[in-house]
Amino acid sequence: MSWVSVDALRVGYGSQVVLDGVDLTVEKGSVVAVLGPSGCGKTTLLRSIAGLLPVTSGSIRVGDRELSSASVRVPPEKRGIGWVPQDASLFPHLSVGENIGFGIPRGKQRAARIAELATLVGLGDYIDRSPAQLSGGQAQRVSLARALAPRPDVVLLDEPFAALDPMLRTALRAEVAELLRGQGSTAVLVTHDQEEALSLADKVAVMMGGRILQWGSPVDVYEQPTTPWVARFVGDTVEFAGVWRDGFAECALGTIEALAMDGLAAGESIRVVLRPEWVTLAPDGADAHVVAVSYAGHDALVTLELASGDRMRSRIAAPDLPAPGDRVGVKLRRRALAYR
Amino acid sequence: MSVIGVRRARRSGSRLASAPLALVLLAAVCALAAAIPLVYLVVRTADAGLAVLVDTLLRERVLRLAANSVLLAIAVTASCLVLGIAVAWVLSRVRMPAGRLGLLLTALPLAVPSYLAAYGWLVVFPTLNGFFPSWFVMTAVCTPYVALPVAAALRGASGDLEAVARTLGRNPFQGFVAATLPRVRPAATAGALLVCLYTLSDFGAVSMLRFQTLTWGINSAYGASFDRNQAAILALLLVVLALIVVAGERRTRGHVVAPAARPVPLIAPRRGLLPVFAAIVLAAPVVGVVVPVAGLLSRLLEAETIRTIDVGRLAEAIGTTLLLALAGAVVAVALALPIAALAARFRGRLVNAIESVGYLGHALPGIVVGLSLVFFSLAVVPALYQTVVVLVFAYAVLFMQKAIGSARSGIEAVPNGLIAVSRSLGLTASQTWWRVTARMAAPSIGVGALLVAIAVMKELPATLLLRPTGISTLSVELWNRTEIFEFGAAAPYAAALVLLAAVPAFVLSGVRGVAKEEEL
Repeated sequence: MSWVSVDALRVGYGSQVVLDGVDLTVEKGSVVAVLGPSGCGKTTLLRSIAGLLPVTSGSIRVGDRELSSASVRVPPEKRGIGWVPQDASLFPHLSVGENIGFGIPRGKQRAARIAELATLVGLGDYIDRSPAQLSGGQAQRVSLARALAPRPDVVLLDEPFAALDPMLRTALRAEVAELLRGQGSTAVLVTHDQEEALSLADKVAVMMGGRILQWGSPVDVYEQPTTPWVARFVGDTVEFAGVWRDGFAECALGTIEALAMDGLAAGESIRVVLRPEWVTLAPDGADAHVVAVSYAGHDALVTLELASGDRMRSRIAAPDLPAPGDRVGVKLRRRALAYR
Repeated sequence: MSVIGVRRARRSGSRLASAPLALVLLAAVCALAAAIPLVYLVVRTADAGLAVLVDTLLRERVLRLAANSVLLAIAVTASCLVLGIAVAWVLSRVRMPAGRLGLLLTALPLAVPSYLAAYGWLVVFPTLNGFFPSWFVMTAVCTPYVALPVAAALRGASGDLEAVARTLGRNPFQGFVAATLPRVRPAATAGALLVCLYTLSDFGAVSMLRFQTLTWGINSAYGASFDRNQAAILALLLVVLALIVVAGERRTRGHVVAPAARPVPLIAPRRGLLPVFAAIVLAAPVVGVVVPVAGLLSRLLEAETIRTIDVGRLAEAIGTTLLLALAGAVVAVALALPIAALAARFRGRLVNAIESVGYLGHALPGIVVGLSLVFFSLAVVPALYQTVVVLVFAYAVLFMQKAIGSARSGIEAVPNGLIAVSRSLGLTASQTWWRVTARMAAPSIGVGALLVAIAVMKELPATLLLRPTGISTLSVELWNRTEIFEFGAAAPYAAALVLLAAVPAFVLSGVRGVAKEEEL
């Protein structure tokens, strides 16, 4: 059952339309990632859900409450929605503990709740510190604790890891995912980092130009992207021009099995899309020779030139690497994708 | 990171081994010149003896003057703080028609000397006098000192903080108070202390509006001439008050918030509220500038005023004012340059001390500098008493801080790499200074000179005390006529002052960017 539902949401600044009919549903206790390039409207979506922006039409509901529509705008402080902004935005004049406690009503439980959350994010000893003394990752954790403290119905995270260095980002990402799931929190995460979206979320919405292009599980989005653009945005692609032959695609790799992503007629010219890691080297495959090997330890990106002169990249696991100049056979491990 | 932190980092990067002795000596001499009035005032008061000092300080009249000064300063500071923060909030948060114009209008009162605003109101309502009119006019004139820095801080304060406060259950006003107000508090405090300083130092407006403060008391005790001890002690009392305020101001200076990660979205006001917001922004410019200038113009255009204009005398006053402004600017820049060159390139306790002494004029009320230099010239260089030399020196002392500030930032902006290149091409240090540093910093030094010239033209109390007999400036002519309620006869001088000083001040402030207003 959907807990957060965004229906046909349109938001604009003046005459400029930023969100153009966005639909999104989030189940209770799940984590949804909104993935898109900068300027696609994902932050606007988040700010609209938080009640920081008015909507032009459509609606935002949480549970059975309508929070936003053309005529309704519940103010942010009455929504029960937590928000973790991109730069943590800790109140610099308040201590860590006071930041965490900012949204908790005064009362007996307050101090205990602050301590509980500080411990939860691993900063139990930092309650009296000032935000200026925290590292970027610690600041983000405090920001998350602050948002979770009043037990919001939904937590919104706006690129919370973007400002951190890569090592820290990966670690904190896993930690936050575990924490959100452990608390049973419902969360919407906005990011432009596909790895982050795929690894963290139960469902991913790929967004561009104010619209949601695809909505599905991380596996769906990666393995069966609805358009070539989504395919390229979510990961590496290898692409060829080809012709559709009912379940097969004729292209530089020969005639290969393919999945029609659009309604295709036999003989129609198509775009064949696959992922570099779907490629394997096998003696009975299509003829190719190795142009370059870009070694990355666990695997390597191997650039191949086919008999047709087309080039393609394939990701090959480390022990079986060919050398530049080698003649190899190229096969696919699974069906390629065919688009009109 | 605060702006001051960035500046420090840059300075330490540009630090050279140690300052050349000649430059330090030269700068020290220039700074000492700025210290003469204060030092001599202390010497003069000490001469009078402790008994006289205590006796004078405890007189009922002195206590009343001091109480009036403090009361007015506190009242004006409080009202400027409230109005200034409201104006700043409207300017930085509300989508107003012609938003940029709002900033310019807010800066407008800075261009008008307080006594000119008082004069304009007296023209319209000749019976105004006492505390409340003084409070009213001074508030209008001083509001920009709070409004402009707070508006800049508000624009710099991240809107996300307020948004976070909203999502955690605060309504819009609570969100502003909890998240944003603490961020602008340093700017507001610094602005408020400037207001306090200028209200304490103000002579023209309070005297025209007949509210008896310390500055008024100093002038009248001096004018009565039988009690110069009392004038000196009153001046010392005023200086102590001013220095307390300046000490507070220095402590708060430089705590400017970091630029915003995300600009705050502007609020589109509901139809009914637009006039309210407009009224908040317009209050100070209307009271401080529009009404006075309208009053002045109405008087100027009356047939009687035009018939009785003494063109020769007006032209002479304009000429004198311009010449004095030029002389003041030249001397002030000459004294300022060594200090600026030193402070821009070197750090250290001695350098800091020299620079601080150079800024002394900022803290000294004009009437105090005037009075002290009267005593000084009479006692030490009687040949110069009542000559233009002492008057121009007073201007230089009062306003050289403007030239130091401007020249220093210009010199600091010259990259060290260029200087190194020049030296590597065979130029000596002083050749490099003239051919590279001074050339590149020339626009900033010029702006500093212009700022001094404008300030000289607007100056009143020191000019009143120090001007040689027979020499008269626009501000003095305006003052003399207003003193005897000849508002019509004063009008041409007021108008000339607006054209000569207020308009260039305003244009210049526009050119430099209104955000930097507080330096004017």
